[in-house]
Amino acid sequence: MLSVKNLTKKFGDFTAVDHVSFEARAGEIFGLLGPNGAGKTTTLRVLATVLEATDGTATIDGHDITTDDEAVRQTIGVLTAEIGLYDRFTARENLRYFGQLYGMQGQQLEDRIAEVITLLHMERFADRRAGKFSTGMKQKVAIGRSIIHDPKVIIFDEPTAGLDVLAAQTVINFMQQARDMGKLVVLSTHDMFDAEKLCDRVTIIHRGKVVATGSIDELKTQTGQDTLEAAFTHIVGDEAAFEAERMAEEKQLRDAQKGKPSLNMPGMKLSSNVVRYAGAVLVVAGAIIQAAELFGETGKIVSYVLIGLGILGALAGKYMMKKK
Amino acid sequence: MREIFIVWKKELIDNFRDRRTLMTALLMPVILMPVILIGTFKLQEYQVKQTEEKTAVIGIASLTEAPTLVDFLSQQPKIELKEIAPETYAQEIDNGTIGAYLAIPADFEMQLASDESPVVTVYSKSSNLDSATAGQKVQTTLAIFSQQIGTGRLMAQGIDPSIIQGVAITPEDISTAEERGGFFIGLLLPMFIVIFAIVGGMYVAIDVSAGEKERKTLEALLLAPLSRFRIVMGKYLAVTTMASMTIILSLVSMSIAFALYTPDLGMGTLTIDLSPAAIAIMLVIGIILAVMFSGLLLSVAIFAKSYKEAQNYISPFYILAVLPVGIANSLPSFKPSLAFFAVPGMNAVFVIKEVLLGTYDWTHIGITVATLVVFAGLGIVVASKIYSKVGILFRD
Repeated sequence: MLSVKNLTKKFGDFTAVDHVSFEARAGEIFGLLGPNGAGKTTTLRVLATVLEATDGTATIDGHDITTDDEAVRQTIGVLTAEIGLYDRFTARENLRYFGQLYGMQGQQLEDRIAEVITLLHMERFADRRAGKFSTGMKQKVAIGRSIIHDPKVIIFDEPTAGLDVLAAQTVINFMQQARDMGKLVVLSTHDMFDAEKLCDRVTIIHRGKVVATGSIDELKTQTGQDTLEAAFTHIVGDEAAFEAERMAEEKQLRDAQKGKPSLNMPGMKLSSNVVRYAGAVLVVAGAIIQAAELFGETGKIVSYVLIGLGILGALAGKYMMKKK
Repeated sequence: MREIFIVWKKELIDNFRDRRTLMTALLMPVILMPVILIGTFKLQEYQVKQTEEKTAVIGIASLTEAPTLVDFLSQQPKIELKEIAPETYAQEIDNGTIGAYLAIPADFEMQLASDESPVVTVYSKSSNLDSATAGQKVQTTLAIFSQQIGTGRLMAQGIDPSIIQGVAITPEDISTAEERGGFFIGLLLPMFIVIFAIVGGMYVAIDVSAGEKERKTLEALLLAPLSRFRIVMGKYLAVTTMASMTIILSLVSMSIAFALYTPDLGMGTLTIDLSPAAIAIMLVIGIILAVMFSGLLLSVAIFAKSYKEAQNYISPFYILAVLPVGIANSLPSFKPSLAFFAVPGMNAVFVIKEVLLGTYDWTHIGITVATLVVFAGLGIVVASKIYSKVGILFRD
């Protein structure tokens, strides 16, 4: 169902995801575990085709993420850590909008919306505007939104972070429900209790690399620990490893602060420079035509257009530089 | 196409439910245009009336002395005489009870009868507007009185009174309708159309870009299986629709206000051309302006993380669009050369101004439309390019 092969994602010199490979099957909850900043969210964003892979690839239900991105997005449903709804729309309207974006329409869509509302117990507030919803209610609508098109693969990125116990329970219940319906659920989390309770198999990612894969029992036996948390700590490393990691992070932050371009793609820098210089050339050309009063009145018009375009180009180039 | 339509429809519904957008984009132009139109003319009318029609109160020492002059003055429609103690006139002028004081010599009637010229002094305060106006008015009236006396004396001696007129003077005002319409036609009305092209789309542009980031709905939207280009086009169309709606509403409400109320400046009716052709040209220019600014607004707003930040980025655009026009218009006898019609924003103001005054210069209109179309196209390209860059969308 999901097959990841040597997936790599670089931001400039920094490798966020380093030759990651794993496979997950339909009808299981697959855990993507790792400490904060290990590369879990980046991996999921690449799988969801929101970011482009630098190297390697993955297939989801037979669709390649590098060549068939719209089909991939049609196959998956993603619940991100940050749930946002359109406040001025009701829960039902929020669901309808996304249903339409996923190509559904008419009675079929309305039936599906009703089904999702029942599945997630949202009848009470389905036709109220989302602006005043509690976190738990919002969470339900967000889940509904990500499964409105009945995806075969459901990806959850830190779904319980920042939720209270009841809201978190809603999510956990739903994941189990989805597995029982024969879907593949990919769960990314750093919470080992959740992972132990829910996941059938897990992959542990550390500093962008896969360090262990297997069922929870397998990992426990391999490391000789009796909880997943202990096994995780054993695999990811002891205090010394944490210390090394902290140093690496500090270096990373320093680099990011002093040399933003070091994280930049060289192609981007080049093209933004070209745009900037082209802008400057246009302005100069316009000014020369203006000053020398070439071509009479038409010349003046041309020069103003050139100067206008040049300034726009220079600004656009500057934004392209600043962006990264 | 279907997806573009879905996004467009959703953004419009969403923004129609937002009171803030409705206020700025729809209500403001409907109310503001007639207020500007009628308000400006009412103000000018009021000022003209103020000077012409206000009754001047003139203080004199006694209403019973110098009956020839007193009778003449009391027959004047806008002059009222008031008896005051001569030594208090300065105080009375300051209090505003009288506008000016007339000092008439005691032997006025005698001097008049013996063909002499009695000295009448008019006291007024030039630093006080009311007093200055009253002083002017009484002096003009006194001049007429003096002329009447003079004419009578000449006729008594059998001389034709017109002989003392060396030349006959006929004043003729050569200022154009444009110069008389002045501030209103020249600047305010066209400038507001340009401003509405920005304001109308502003809140929608912010809402669909930075707003989507602030509410954290952007990632969910990008996860939907449609291309970025379609998302941008849907949003772009929504912004343009809203801005165009603002412009259409402002033009409609302006036409209605103008039909119900024709301004009169007291120097012949001023003609503003609001024929269907003029409206059509303003509409076309307004809508292309809206398309152009929409691209600009969307491109800029997406760099912001929040509503507030986006507003900060966008406010300079007002100044950018309005300042050059303001400066150009404040220069006396400024006539835009052909080149000015290639400056987007500015050209719209000049063309709308011309059209309102009934001048249809097709070269100007052509250059303006062509330039605006080029920049509008550029706006669409830039906006869709920016939106297809992942980095900007995830800039935290």
